[in-house]
Amino acid sequence: MLTSFVRSGQKVILRIEDILNKVFSSEQNLLYYHGAMPNFCMWMLFLSGLLLFAYYTPTLEAAYQSVEYITNKLPYGDVIRGIHRYAADAMLLTVILHALRVYFTDRYREYRLIAWYSGVALSVFMLIIGVSGYILVWDERSFIIVTKITDFLGSLPFIGSSLASAFLNGEVISNYTMSMSFFLHTGTSFALLVLLWVHYMRISRPVVNVTWAIGSLISGIILLFAGLFPAISGPEAKFTVEPSYFDIDWFYLWLFPLIDAVGNIGAWLVLIAGITLVTLLPNFVRNHDKEPASVSKDHCVGCRLCSIDCPYEAIYMAPRNDGSKYKEIAVVIDDRCAECGLCVGACNFDAIELPNYKSPQVMDDIRIALQS
Amino acid sequence: MTQTETQSENKLKTKDEVKVAVIACARSVNLEGELSATKLNGVSNCDVIQVPCSGMIQPRMIEAAFNAGADGVIAMGCQIGDCHFREGNKFCRERLLGQRPPMIKKTVPKRRLKGLWMSEVQVEDFKARVEDFKGYVAEQLVEEQKGN
Ligand code: HEM
Ligand code: SF4
Ligand code: SF4
Repeated sequence: MLTSFVRSGQKVILRIEDILNKVFSSEQNLLYYHGAMPNFCMWMLFLSGLLLFAYYTPTLEAAYQSVEYITNKLPYGDVIRGIHRYAADAMLLTVILHALRVYFTDRYREYRLIAWYSGVALSVFMLIIGVSGYILVWDERSFIIVTKITDFLGSLPFIGSSLASAFLNGEVISNYTMSMSFFLHTGTSFALLVLLWVHYMRISRPVVNVTWAIGSLISGIILLFAGLFPAISGPEAKFTVEPSYFDIDWFYLWLFPLIDAVGNIGAWLVLIAGITLVTLLPNFVRNHDKEPASVSKDHCVGCRLCSIDCPYEAIYMAPRNDGSKYKEIAVVIDDRCAECGLCVGACNFDAIELPNYKSPQVMDDIRIALQS
Repeated sequence: MTQTETQSENKLKTKDEVKVAVIACARSVNLEGELSATKLNGVSNCDVIQVPCSGMIQPRMIEAAFNAGADGVIAMGCQIGDCHFREGNKFCRERLLGQRPPMIKKTVPKRRLKGLWMSEVQVEDFKARVEDFKGYVAEQLVEEQKGN
């Protein structure tokens, strides 16, 4: 049942791509840049974030005013703030698109596990960055977020109270709380880069850049939103006033309506169940028995072409000292092998073969077919 | 077989008589129910041999097809930009264009060799493109005769 569900999802995606190819050509097909689009948004966030960072002050007294200064006084400050807000939404949207595409096109399991697991971690990190970002503004919404997160963390058995005080950075909301949120926001952002390095670990030449046209399109949309719906703060948070303003960003703040609906423990259960389910998705499908590519010692001349072409970094060149006149030999790391045959296409010496599709056999098939 | 031998065998053929071999990625156009053994239903003289990815197509497989009597050869993979194995069709295309080793031999009649990049859902499109190609190969054979 799961397989047929995934297969129909794949057909839908392929049909959409077919239409996009006809309208925009395959070089400008958005869906072919499913991993590059979130990456592009991330760099927009880093860049706009850097400019905000220059003027932002992470203290209870000054945070709100510094954001107001950026928005109202700094030339184009409101635009930069808008870009930062909407690039974050765009990043999440494109990440969801990316994850759906790799899932429905069956490109998420077996030799792609590292990318899948690190992808799940990337999305959790994005949630932390998003929520902590909304604290930095220090308007009434920020105040509500801080109290709710404190309760949410505190509701966990055993570790709850220490997590809550770690988040508050003390026992009450203070300047240290702001420092902690600022750290969670920027520190986790840099951790994204480390995670992305893990994400690309098994992928040769990942497509990380969008085309100029797609980059302009995404920037254009983000700018349009920044202009039409400027990112603004609610009333400043004050300890003397009961906060009420809570405009919701459904991309990053959905946790709070969830907590309101099912309670802290309920929200934890939903969160943990969701993350576990997505993490375990690769386990719901039985992998077929692996028949990785294998190298023939007698034929390999050590030309390296296969190791260059392998799209999953499954081949390395090892020095050889078996008396052969060639200096190196290709070695396949079985676990990483996708059984794609790109190495076979790259080898001019019949030295690397897929056990199920040996190239002499394919050539025989060609001859037999043409003679029939 | 030398080039002249291949050409003398390929003397003027009608479009229907033209023999085409398609070496195809098994994940591109979905040919389930479209093949009788290797013959493509509804298109005359067209054999399809499937491999796991177009990136696996060696120049020598293309030579083998011409040498075994194909008048035209199509190397087929998924839409460029989409490849289940990320880069297979790009590499295949680069080989067809002579931009990536191993190179295709000079003796291979490049004009009767075609790259086709289509997704699973483009079955009808695919058949139409094969028909077009057969017509083109027939014309090409005439040109080559004149050239001699
Ligand atoms: C910060 C967010 C993310 C960025 C910037 C990102 C970027 C990328 C890029 C550039 C690639 C290489 C695509 C290629 O060249 O074929 C990739 C591959 C992949 N990503 Fe992500 N990704 C992100 C999040 C995720 C998430 C949330 C998931 C799923 C849970 C995910 C799952 C995968 C998988 C399975 C692959 C391998 C696809 C293949 O081998 O064909 N990624 N990602
Ligand atoms: S392409 Fe063939 S000959 Fe060259 S290193 Fe790889 S296996 Fe050896
Ligand atoms: S079949 Fe060859 S190119 Fe493909 S993943 Fe395995 S070793 Fe790499």
